[in-house]
Amino acid sequence: MQLAASSIARCFRAAKPLRLHQCDVMSSFKKPRMISTNSVMRDEFAKHADYLNEFNDKREKVIKASRDVTINSKKVIFQVHRVRKDNSEEVLSKAEKDLASVTSQYMSKLVEELQGTDFWKLRHAYTFAVQEYVEAATFCRFCREGTILDLKEINTTLHSLGDSHRKPLQISTIDYLLGNIYRELTLLAPIMDDSSEMKKKLEVMLQSVTKIENACFNVHVRGSEFIPLLGENDDQFPYMGLPYLDS
Amino acid sequence: MEKATARDDSSSAGGGGELDHPISVFLSMERQFEEFRSQLMDSGSIRERIRSVATEMESALRVMHACIILVHQSVPLPEVLKKTKAQIVVLRDLCGRLAEILRECPGQYYRYHADWRSETQTAVSLLAFLHYLETESLLTHAEAQNILGWDALEFGLDIEDYLIGLCFLSNELPRYVVNQVTAGDYDCPRKLLKFLTELHSSFQMLNLRNDFLRRKFDGIKYDLRRVEEVYYDVKIRGLAPGESNQEQSA
Repeated sequence: MQLAASSIARCFRAAKPLRLHQCDVMSSFKKPRMISTNSVMRDEFAKHADYLNEFNDKREKVIKASRDVTINSKKVIFQVHRVRKDNSEEVLSKAEKDLASVTSQYMSKLVEELQGTDFWKLRHAYTFAVQEYVEAATFCRFCREGTILDLKEINTTLHSLGDSHRKPLQISTIDYLLGNIYRELTLLAPIMDDSSEMKKKLEVMLQSVTKIENACFNVHVRGSEFIPLLGENDDQFPYMGLPYLDS
Repeated sequence: MEKATARDDSSSAGGGGELDHPISVFLSMERQFEEFRSQLMDSGSIRERIRSVATEMESALRVMHACIILVHQSVPLPEVLKKTKAQIVVLRDLCGRLAEILRECPGQYYRYHADWRSETQTAVSLLAFLHYLETESLLTHAEAQNILGWDALEFGLDIEDYLIGLCFLSNELPRYVVNQVTAGDYDCPRKLLKFLTELHSSFQMLNLRNDFLRRKFDGIKYDLRRVEEVYYDVKIRGLAPGESNQEQSA
């Protein structure tokens, strides 16, 4: 890339003086000034070219790492979705193992790329990956213990990946919230005016909550009419390890 | 009857020790969300303050722009420069206030960047125009940063913002050259063409992504063409001053 740019630049440099040369013969006093302004501008832009190249490389790496995180976090989520009454231990431990490898292989790469303090600038490149990762991690935890994985815990996990001398990546509050799935979010809605992304997710979440409430209602009121799912022969499905809400 | 049995089963199998779980979970969750709430409140208020400064910057820039476009109406250059420079003081002051807010939240410069980006770009374009009018050369990044008073900032003036500002400058130049020629300055097209050609070829040194800056850069060639046309018109009619006539005969 850089080579191409410099060769183009050279071809420009080579092409231009040829034409300008003719007029400079007549006004030779102009020549030094022209060259000096020319090189000032070129020096200026050479610096910016370096900066942009470096920054684009970094962005590229972050995007790659993010993609890996997204794909593998999704796999973990699908894995957790396979939980059934009789295989929960097996499925969850596999999911947890996968999650740990996502953390050690892919998240660590992302964290490494994002060393330094300008990670806000690249936020849109990695935010979805981090959200997916948070979703996978919280989902895993929730299905195992019925609790939420809190932001501190996730950040502690990531902290160990980072280089302790520099400021490690910490998942920002917003990424955490977007990756998360809780009713309490509605309390935050009024002050999140700057994030339309957040609002959309909140709406979807309200729908999900309504669905869950309806499901709970159905189980509660019509539990006896419950049609066993996929050949389950009783409905004491220990999903999420949570007791019934009404108890 | 059946309903009761079902519920009984569930609590014995899935519940047990987990029955008291939800309460502590709920408490820690609530604590955490309370923390989030206060964090978001803080960042929200910072954002609001930044936005209000950005709004003031926008209006200061509008005044500055109004001063500088007098140059199209053949108002004498020194007068235009004087008027515009008076506005720079206001702009600088606002930039200082912005920098102060940003210093309160170190490491989060780019978090709020979008809120004042476009103002920065306009500022760069006006300053670069002013600088060109004064010296017929390019305002460098360091100079621009210095005028805005952002040298000491954690990240300073963003390079991309600076470059986009230069693209805006280029958009302003065709109009300037047309009006200068109308006002009788026939040497202006030559100098401007040289400047713009250099700027354009310098931009070509950059490897741009397919983003806003790329699109703005693509626009420069139309400005360049317009200036070339003006230069051509002036030259073909023999209006260009001495030096260029000699060039013609050479």
